[in-house]
Amino acid sequence: MKFINLLKKELRELINAQMIIGLVVSMSLLVLIGGIMGDAIEDAVSNSGDVYICDQDNTEFTKRVIENLNAMGYNVNEKSVTKEDSVEILEELNINSLIIIPKGFTEGILKNNAASELEYISRIKSTSAMASLGDGSTSAIESIKSIISNLLMQEGYGLSEADITVLENPVNLKEVTVVDKKSANVSASTIIGMASTQGMIVPIVIFILVMFTSQMIISTISTEKIDKTLETLLSAPVSRLSVLGAKMLAAAIVALINAVAYMIAFSSYMSGMLGSTLDTTAVIGEALTMSDILKELGLKLTAGGYILLGLQMFMTIMIALSVSLILGAMATDAKSAQTLVMPIMIFAMIPYMISLFMDVNSMSNIVKIFVWLIPFTHTFTAINNIMFGNWPVFWGGLAYQFVFFIVCMYFALKLFTSDKIFTISLNLGQKMKLKKVKKG
Amino acid sequence: MSTILEVKDLSKQYSKVLAADNVSFSIDEGEIFALIGPNGAGKTTTIRMISTLIKPTSGDAIVNGYSINDKPEKVRESITYLPDEAGAYKNMTGYNYLKFMANIFTNDKDKAETYVKRAVEMCGLGDRLNEKIASYSRGMIRKLLLSRAVMTYPKLAILDEPTSGLDVINALEIRKIIKDLANKGMSFLISSHNMLEIEFVSDRVGIISKGKLLVVGKTEELKQRYNVANLEEVFERVVLEHEVY
Repeated sequence: MKFINLLKKELRELINAQMIIGLVVSMSLLVLIGGIMGDAIEDAVSNSGDVYICDQDNTEFTKRVIENLNAMGYNVNEKSVTKEDSVEILEELNINSLIIIPKGFTEGILKNNAASELEYISRIKSTSAMASLGDGSTSAIESIKSIISNLLMQEGYGLSEADITVLENPVNLKEVTVVDKKSANVSASTIIGMASTQGMIVPIVIFILVMFTSQMIISTISTEKIDKTLETLLSAPVSRLSVLGAKMLAAAIVALINAVAYMIAFSSYMSGMLGSTLDTTAVIGEALTMSDILKELGLKLTAGGYILLGLQMFMTIMIALSVSLILGAMATDAKSAQTLVMPIMIFAMIPYMISLFMDVNSMSNIVKIFVWLIPFTHTFTAINNIMFGNWPVFWGGLAYQFVFFIVCMYFALKLFTSDKIFTISLNLGQKMKLKKVKKG
Repeated sequence: MSTILEVKDLSKQYSKVLAADNVSFSIDEGEIFALIGPNGAGKTTTIRMISTLIKPTSGDAIVNGYSINDKPEKVRESITYLPDEAGAYKNMTGYNYLKFMANIFTNDKDKAETYVKRAVEMCGLGDRLNEKIASYSRGMIRKLLLSRAVMTYPKLAILDEPTSGLDVINALEIRKIIKDLANKGMSFLISSHNMLEIEFVSDRVGIISKGKLLVVGKTEELKQRYNVANLEEVFERVVLEHEVY
């Protein structure tokens, strides 16, 4: 009864408007970003066949080139230009790229037997990954080269189309990518590109969760200590274990709500990102969705994968909470309480940055051990371990996290059941000031 | 009159500081005992030991027949403690705070309701009790906390600096509540560094300095003994006397 009373109070303290608004906003953002990016990819893929050509040569030969290009599936839009300056040309036509077949192009090829110049103007608006999508001109230029070679061989040497095909592609490259024990007919670079979009957002979510929950518990404990409500509670006929237990359970419930909510938002984000159809040039064979390919290779998180990732997130949050319990008890005022989140931030930042740029498993042993000793690392690397089936690393990490959590809880319990809860303090700012005064 | 609190040679040694040095005194039923002394004299340390918040290095205190060393959980059933400059949960309304604290002291719903009703009457905050504590003034918070501290009619109410930082009107109201309850049989252990104020409210005082309880007695007796006009002067004389010898 008393425990339930304490638990209700803790939950009321933790589940406040600030927490709910924060959770709803970040979940909505995740879903929204997933939707926006999915739409952007879809648009880019659907527009990737659009090609703008200005045929200034206007000969039978160039007309056949354009006809062939259309026959290959490109949506060729013929344009005429009046300006000479590249910037003015693109502005006049209101497009981002243009292939110009200059006057004398045919003559140069057919009569002079020399390579003729093809002009390609393109405008860069952004350096984002999405900026390069949706422009079919680059692949169209390759196709134009191939069409011209075919036409020359057909007309110059009387070769059949079948002969030309063999000459052009004496080797058919079939790319197969193997992940663990599964394989798919797709290039490794395509898979890495796709998987990285999946892995990119998880560290961000974990970092936000760790920081948010740490700040939440440090603020609760330090406020109780500074306002002396903790003294009032601990002098009442209720066990210290109940007070600590209620705090931990309430924090765990809030952490679980957060982990589940973020997992739901994350899966929605991923379905938005992976729903679009792949360009046939990227995948050999039939056109598939990114989701299908990742699923075929076991790289798409299944329901079980999401549960395991959620479990890792929950464990990380519990560690952050238990460390925060100890740190929160060291606060002497509101300012020092804010500073106390620093150690958690640093230890969350290290694996966060590493997971964004490199694979922990491929680092040197000394560095790897150092990084693995940081308990948060195992959650930042969890998604890769789940996707690539590194189960010993995954379960080992989870076991280490559990042991770390038990050790932290032991110290938190020791702190709460001893005098230290009222006497312990860590005020680095004040200590430095004191040193300066002494020196002065 | 029965003895509610008997403090026997209580000492507390922090790493380099002896915060309480063989402190001994007793409080009878319905008595208001004040521990007075300057900041850092050892008042709060002594009070925290009696409240079972910190463990004594040596010595013991018997509260309502229970030892703070052996039966701290039983001691906590007989006392309430109001820390110096304490706050309350700012996101709670005053009423919900009283309800929460009542349910900490008892599992019996009817008893809890009686406690809350008593505190509501005593604090005199009326409709403001339905507002969040964050909107309360310092005086309002202190009245709320005092009514919380005495709503269970504990055998011993321990109040650390009960009127510190309050204006004259609020301080007077709080002193009146304490006096009324003592007349009904509740015992009080009060600490304060405001010696003039303590004169008006306490039955007996103990003067503490540098962890040592130097002298214990009734205010009038002490004033006569040292032939001075007020407690502040008694304190000065006592401290000087102990420095000489």
